[in-house]
Amino acid sequence: MEPLIAVDRVVKTYGARTALAGVSFTVAPGAITGLLGPNGAGKSTTISIIATLLDADTGRVTVAGHRLPAEAAAARRVLGFVPQRLALYPTLTARENLHFFARMQGLAGSEAGAAVTRALALVALDGRADEPVAQFSGGMRRRLNLAAGILHRPRIVLLDEPTAGVDPQSRERIFEAVESLARDGAAVLYSTHYMEEAERLCGRVVLLDDGRVVATGTPDELIVQTGMTLSVRLRTARPLPTGWLDGAAGAHVIGDDHGAGIAVAVDDGGAVSRVLLAVVRAGGEVVELSVHHPNLADAFFHLTGRALRDEDGASA
Amino acid sequence: MLRGLGAAIGKDLRLLLRDRAGLVFLAVAPIVVITVAGFSLASLYGASVRGTAAYELPIADEDGGRVGHALVQGLADVPVVRLHPVATRDAARDLVRAHVAGAALVIPPGTSDAVVAGHGASLLLYTDPVKYLEVASVRVLVQELRHRVEEAARDRAAARLDKARTHARATGRRFERAAVRLRSERARVVDALAAARADAERRIEDARRRAAREIATALGAIAAEREAEARARLAVELAPLRQFFTELSARQDEFAAWLDAVRKQAGRFADGFPPPPAPPAIPPALLALATSDPAVLAARLVPAGTASFAPTLPRVELPAPPSLPALDLPALAEPPTLALPGALRIEEASVTGAPARLNTFDQNVPGFSITFLLLGMLLGVSLGLLDERDWGTLERLRAMPMPFATALVAKLLARFLVGVLQMLALFVLGWLAFGISLGPQPWALLLPTAGIVFAGTAFGLVVAGVARSREAVLPVGSIVIVTMAAVGGCWWPIDLEPPWMRQVALALPTTWAMAAFNDLMIRRQPLAAALRPTLVLFLHGLAYLALGLALFRRRAL
Repeated sequence: MEPLIAVDRVVKTYGARTALAGVSFTVAPGAITGLLGPNGAGKSTTISIIATLLDADTGRVTVAGHRLPAEAAAARRVLGFVPQRLALYPTLTARENLHFFARMQGLAGSEAGAAVTRALALVALDGRADEPVAQFSGGMRRRLNLAAGILHRPRIVLLDEPTAGVDPQSRERIFEAVESLARDGAAVLYSTHYMEEAERLCGRVVLLDDGRVVATGTPDELIVQTGMTLSVRLRTARPLPTGWLDGAAGAHVIGDDHGAGIAVAVDDGGAVSRVLLAVVRAGGEVVELSVHHPNLADAFFHLTGRALRDEDGASA
Repeated sequence: MLRGLGAAIGKDLRLLLRDRAGLVFLAVAPIVVITVAGFSLASLYGASVRGTAAYELPIADEDGGRVGHALVQGLADVPVVRLHPVATRDAARDLVRAHVAGAALVIPPGTSDAVVAGHGASLLLYTDPVKYLEVASVRVLVQELRHRVEEAARDRAAARLDKARTHARATGRRFERAAVRLRSERARVVDALAAARADAERRIEDARRRAAREIATALGAIAAEREAEARARLAVELAPLRQFFTELSARQDEFAAWLDAVRKQAGRFADGFPPPPAPPAIPPALLALATSDPAVLAARLVPAGTASFAPTLPRVELPAPPSLPALDLPALAEPPTLALPGALRIEEASVTGAPARLNTFDQNVPGFSITFLLLGMLLGVSLGLLDERDWGTLERLRAMPMPFATALVAKLLARFLVGVLQMLALFVLGWLAFGISLGPQPWALLLPTAGIVFAGTAFGLVVAGVARSREAVLPVGSIVIVTMAAVGGCWWPIDLEPPWMRQVALALPTTWAMAAFNDLMIRRQPLAAALRPTLVLFLHGLAYLALGLALFRRRAL
């Protein structure tokens, strides 16, 4: 199937800083593709170039067959852009906001009204449609922000970290809406640094770091690529003696910060109990224990040596 | 495009309507400031506003006379000052010292008497030099009033003089009429006397001639009688003489004949004879007398009629009639024209026909409306655009099919419409509440209004392009706008500024806007007066628009 978004060796620099250094990927219709990377990886720059807000220095970008930036006007008609920042008028109501953006998308009066009603229902804000946005919670604003970008049923939806600072309930609403768009055949490019979101939503993930694509594939493919397995993370009341895990089959220490915590790779679930037994034998007292399944953050860390987020780094 | 434009304008108007602080700033703040400034700065123009006096003026009338009364009355009628009568000059001076008033007027005792007596008198004005404008205004007022009092006194004196002259003229005319009548009577008496005299003389002459005739007749008769007697006696008397001459002639003839005979006889000797003695010659008169006819002679000597003697009676000279005294009445001279020195007045004529007195709100309403218009543009356009940038809506709009310029133009258009409505609302309010002039063609105010709103809107875009952040807009924009408003004559008449500053002000749109509003509202000029300033304002607006677009695109997009 012909991809609706095609990014080919795109380079973008800001003065001496290179934001994108030859990024390439595609997004097919009906697919949700995650653009995953830490802050500063180049996600927003990539989204902005596809959204026609920025021009690439070099490389080729086509949107629904329209070459950018030459055919930006045509591309905009099929694009739905949901910016990272809440791009809403706080003193207008949800309906007024959506109606204005619908008109600016080129929808006529009745068409705009229907689009607004549909979008409000999609993000479950139809009951609060006539309240000023300033009275909305952060999650509701995020949902409305999403609604404002999909009023015209775009063939391509660009979501730039659409769930930042959102409560779980709203996040789920957003996920449902995004999935609904994809089901309707839209090509969705979903930028996030939340590994969980990428795993939850995206059929494909493009891992970005420092302006480069470090890996592309499904989440499982990316994890498998790293060769990472199940791990146990534990914290003890006192430091354990050297060689405390010797003899525990299927387990080996992969990290020890001498007090803060120990990471132990295990081959399977049975090895977890062997690790606990080794701690007891060494006279240790387990204060905290968790079993960790490898995920995209681990894969990213494995590939780049850096965490997707600060907290990921801490855990990694 | 038009649908998007309408939607964007609607969105911006909604944003404004939801912005209570913005609405207050657009509507309430200018009204409050205009009101406060109008009343506060009323004294700057020396005029009162709606019955409120600009200054308090303590006045001590120690004179109590006509002059004092006239001054107090005159000042009471002047709306610029509110009189504060006090009893003494000390009380008046104390009020100035206490900063209650900038000046106090004292009318010293005896002022009226001195003036009436033709002497000079001085008014005393206590002043606080710090309150320069107030003192200057009061000084001018008192001077004007003093002139008025002097002029009234002069007019009264002139009226009295005119009355005296009129009375003198009337008296003179009565005198002249009496003199004419007197002369006429005198002439009539003189004529009567002359007629009586002539009649008397005629009667006397008649009597005299009659008497003479009668006497002559009597005398003639007597003379004729004596003549006849004389003639008879003459004839008798002359007869012997006539006889003698007849004989004498005969003898002379005989002697001549004898002589001739002698001579002949003597022959040759005759030549030797002496001539005979010549007899005496007979006087011819005697000869004539002797040879004349006695009757003729008598008639000649005693001519007939000569006896009629006409005696000449003496004429009777009548005594001269008594001479009437001459009426040598002096001619009454025209009363002298004693013109008092005329008063030197000032006829103030507005070159435009507008009233000389300025309603302070005619200056303040457009001035502060422009100021708040520009500040409103700062909030509406500059902050509005930066808000949209910060909200991310600009970014979203740029990713939409509708050209971004549509949203930008819509915002400028919305603010333009709001600005025009704001200005018009303030003008209407100023007209209703403060009685400002809207000029001979009120609709002409739309021209400079549209011009300054356009320039202000575009200037808002410039500030949005210059300011790095929302926080920088107010310092940057307000400094520029406040300066433009002040220098451009929005807060005070631009003529108060030095010439160099007025030249600088020509570069500011506020100057041109105020020039147009002053022409239309205060000078009451027609529409044509606003055309050039409006053109300049639109040129300013176009320049700002070009600059603003360039800056904003560079800075914000």
